Amino acid sequence: MIRFHPSAQQLVSFVDGNLSPAVSLMVSAHCDMCSTCQRFVEQETERLAGSLLQDNGFKQVDLKADYSAMIAQITQAPSSVEADTGLNQKEISRKPSSKTEVSKAAIHSIELDGRNFVLPRTLQRYIEKTGGWSSLVGKLWQAPVDLGSQGVANFIYMAKGGSVPEHTHRGTEYTLVINGEFSDGINNYDSGDFIFMDGQNTHTPRSDNAQGCLVFTIVDQPLHFTSGIARLLNPFSHLFFR
Amino acid sequence: MLVGIPLEQSKSTIKPKECAVEMSDYLVEVAQKRCKKSFARVFNYFAPRLRSYALKQMGNEALAMELVQDTMSNVWQKAHLFNAEKGSPSTWIFTIARNIRFDMLRKLQNRKEDVCSDDLWPVLCEQTADLNEAPLDEQVTLEQIGYLFESLPVKQKAVIEAIYIDGKSQQEVADELDIPLGTVKSRTRLALQRLKGMLQSND
Ligand SMILES: [Zn+2]
Repeated sequence: MIRFHPSAQQLVSFVDGNLSPAVSLMVSAHCDMCSTCQRFVEQETERLAGSLLQDNGFKQVDLKADYSAMIAQITQAPSSVEADTGLNQKEISRKPSSKTEVSKAAIHSIELDGRNFVLPRTLQRYIEKTGGWSSLVGKLWQAPVDLGSQGVANFIYMAKGGSVPEHTHRGTEYTLVINGEFSDGINNYDSGDFIFMDGQNTHTPRSDNAQGCLVFTIVDQPLHFTSGIARLLNPFSHLFFR
Repeated sequence: MLVGIPLEQSKSTIKPKECAVEMSDYLVEVAQKRCKKSFARVFNYFAPRLRSYALKQMGNEALAMELVQDTMSNVWQKAHLFNAEKGSPSTWIFTIARNIRFDMLRKLQNRKEDVCSDDLWPVLCEQTADLNEAPLDEQVTLEQIGYLFESLPVKQKAVIEAIYIDGKSQQEVADELDIPLGTVKSRTRLALQRLKGMLQSND
């Protein structure tokens, strides 16, 4: 059962598009797994959309000339349906496929050691950008996910008995439990839990689940962690933060 | 109980519900008949409101107008994705504007290639705009997926086949089909979304 959710404030900012892209990704992935937050987000979206309508601060005056030109310009474009079909038949000259073994794995999940982990919708888009697994200390595996200038997020897999040496955080670390359970000496976490840790927290993540535990982690200030000094201060930061 | 509400006020305040029905109808006209008059109605109602929202959020007239134009262009081009059963026109248009603003801000901050609004809120994805309610763990056999695969549009199928069956990179596929890399990417994404949509409706 999911016990740890983003705060209401985070959800509202998410709906309004004001969370950082990296944190938005985490919140969105959590909502894929959490019907409670999903519902909250839907309601909040309606509420914000409603306030857009009730806002009477706009000036009716500037409706005239500029806008009619804009309308004319916009309506010259075809619909996206027209634009996307009926063009360029020559592109489609490939032979029809006889055996079509699109593996489900390629679409929904990432694989580690023969096991497929189905990802929440939001994260499925990043399967292509996920690097290979590499082994870390103590039954831990890591696969980096390239988020461009947002830095690197990671999938971390803790096999049974795997643990991360105690560490603190020099920024905010977000973790979403994708599959399995782990404990960090403070709480027990289950699939779907959304956890954030900042400089206040010290923890020792550990999984004693027979199935191990797959999590997705991200830090909202990746630059902070790439500096040499931070690495010296926190020798284990590279495990989770890169 | 209050009586005698000034006429002017009651006139200028369109009741949200009536307005939603009215705007919904216009959007359907736009989607089905490419009706410019209906679009103009939707535009005239929403554009000034969007502009005011954008000004507040971005504090810049030029950016605000860009947001209005992009949002309303999407409304025109993708009106067929509006589904009145799933929400009001204002909610739909708000989410489009929010997505565009999110991406504009990323661009302003010179962030390329990272999280884009479509990833977070697939409001304008063709075929399956409703990926949101995806229950995740469906069991599908290879035969089933092969069957679904066959029903993909030919262009999307070609791309998926090359990538997931022949194991080619997106760049290789782009070169081979002589189309831009971006097109390969978007076709891949559309196809996967579509497959996923079909898988869900197949359960
Ligand atoms: Zn939640």
